[in-house]
Amino acid sequence: MSESKFETISSLVDNYRVAEQSSEQVIDDMLKDEHLSAAWQQYHLIGDVIRDEIPQILQLDLSAQIAEAIADEPSILAPKTLTKANDPQSGLKAKVVQLIKPVGQLAIAASAAGLMIIGVQQNTADTNEIITPSQIVQTKPLAGFANPVSFNYQQNDQSRTQSHQATALEQRIAQQHRFQALLSDHQQQVKLSAAKSAQSKDAKQSLLEKDGEIVNN
Amino acid sequence: MKSLSLKLPIKLSFLLCFVSACFSFSAIAADAEQAKFSLERLSQSLRQLNFNTSFVVVKNNQAEPYHWLHGVTEVPLSNRTDTQADTAKQEVELEILALLNGPRRDILRVGNTVSYIEPEYAPYSIASAQISGPIPAVFGRDISVLENNYHFVSVGKSRVLGRAAQLIRIVPQDAHRYGYWLWLDQDSGLMLKLAVITRKGKLLEQIQFTHLEITESLSENLKQLQVTELPKVIELSAKENNTELAWQVNWLPDGFEEVKSDRHRMNSSKQAVEFMLFNDGLVDISVYVNPSQDKQRAVEYASDGATLVLNQVVNNIEVSVVGKIPLSSAEKIVNSVSFNPNKLN
Repeated sequence: MSESKFETISSLVDNYRVAEQSSEQVIDDMLKDEHLSAAWQQYHLIGDVIRDEIPQILQLDLSAQIAEAIADEPSILAPKTLTKANDPQSGLKAKVVQLIKPVGQLAIAASAAGLMIIGVQQNTADTNEIITPSQIVQTKPLAGFANPVSFNYQQNDQSRTQSHQATALEQRIAQQHRFQALLSDHQQQVKLSAAKSAQSKDAKQSLLEKDGEIVNN
Repeated sequence: MKSLSLKLPIKLSFLLCFVSACFSFSAIAADAEQAKFSLERLSQSLRQLNFNTSFVVVKNNQAEPYHWLHGVTEVPLSNRTDTQADTAKQEVELEILALLNGPRRDILRVGNTVSYIEPEYAPYSIASAQISGPIPAVFGRDISVLENNYHFVSVGKSRVLGRAAQLIRIVPQDAHRYGYWLWLDQDSGLMLKLAVITRKGKLLEQIQFTHLEITESLSENLKQLQVTELPKVIELSAKENNTELAWQVNWLPDGFEEVKSDRHRMNSSKQAVEFMLFNDGLVDISVYVNPSQDKQRAVEYASDGATLVLNQVVNNIEVSVVGKIPLSSAEKIVNSVSFNPNKLN
């Protein structure tokens, strides 16, 4: 039995085809059996020697060393950043970039905020004279307006009192409601008017008939 | 002698001018004829073909998708005597237009009954042969009513929805309304794209078809519609539609005629209003008048795609105008409203 197993291992090492069932069986056995796995190593070594593929420094048991190395390796949860720590120049660069980046972002954010403040102020200045609504009627009328106005209230309360702000907001909302109501009613009336065009002829007809009756009488 | 030789070329050049003018006129006339023919074909196709199509309305940076089905079926005439009913058949149009996003908004039509299913109201039907959706109903009807106020121009060919399309422009004859551009399928004559455009060429709103299928037989949905019981038809008496009001609109673009005038409450705000509706065949303009709590309010306006909503308050009276018209026209209409002091109670 074991003889045949050694034979199978030999043919496996030489990349020869073996009946699948038996080869699987042998591989399983080999993983359990020290003798068989030793044979596997030895046959490989023999093969290497015959083919003249042995390295100059012969390390007979590489697998044991690898297993040791793996055992020594600390378990790494997060991959280390591969910074070129040895290269002083690149390290400097990275630091500089790190310093500049947040500053730049801050500057952009600040300028955007500045624009918004200017924009909002401009807007409220306009509403003093003529209330020009946004060009688009929102399907959800309130969504677009609550935010900018409340933001505005914090920024320039010197120029405007709180109550002014509140009334401006109310006006805006009321205005949106008005437009929305008008728009939907217009659409509704157009729908209903289609019915009328068919009926008006009848109505006119009946009116004419009535006139005729009166004349006849 | 000299004068004679001079006269001849002058005469000749006049003649040439005249001839070339004739040619160009006839070319324009032919263009207009062709455009009108295309529009008539569209109208016919919209009434006679079985089609299953989808389109999106693009306005305010938003797209509203719709599904539109149309078909024609034959039903026996019901109002004849029994002996005639066996042979007499009547063609009935079936139509479904459904908004695909948001709450359900369906329009169903069987012949001369149109039903609206909307979130704001209980389902209702009206006696009408046309549905009022995003596409002006006039394109499926007699388009010659537009000839008084618009020119038809056949512009050129292009490719829309993967099909060869003919571009027809409906150009207003004055500056008080918008133009409509239609891309029509060369095969079926149906619409592939529609755009509302200002006189300066700015695009306000467009309808792009995304799918078009023309079939021989009725689609399954329409067969179901045929046997569906529609909501009850609401009666609109002629009197309700022609109420005499204590004000009048003194200026409207040429060709707009009064469709109706009444008093009603707006559905969303419950505000009682006096109302007039005008139409030029293609565009509807609503004018609202109602008392306001404010003493004065300057003109305010907003637009939803091509539809403009404008309102102002003068001496506690609020006047509003809604319609697919330019701002200048709406302002002129609002300012032209005058009140009859005798009739004000």
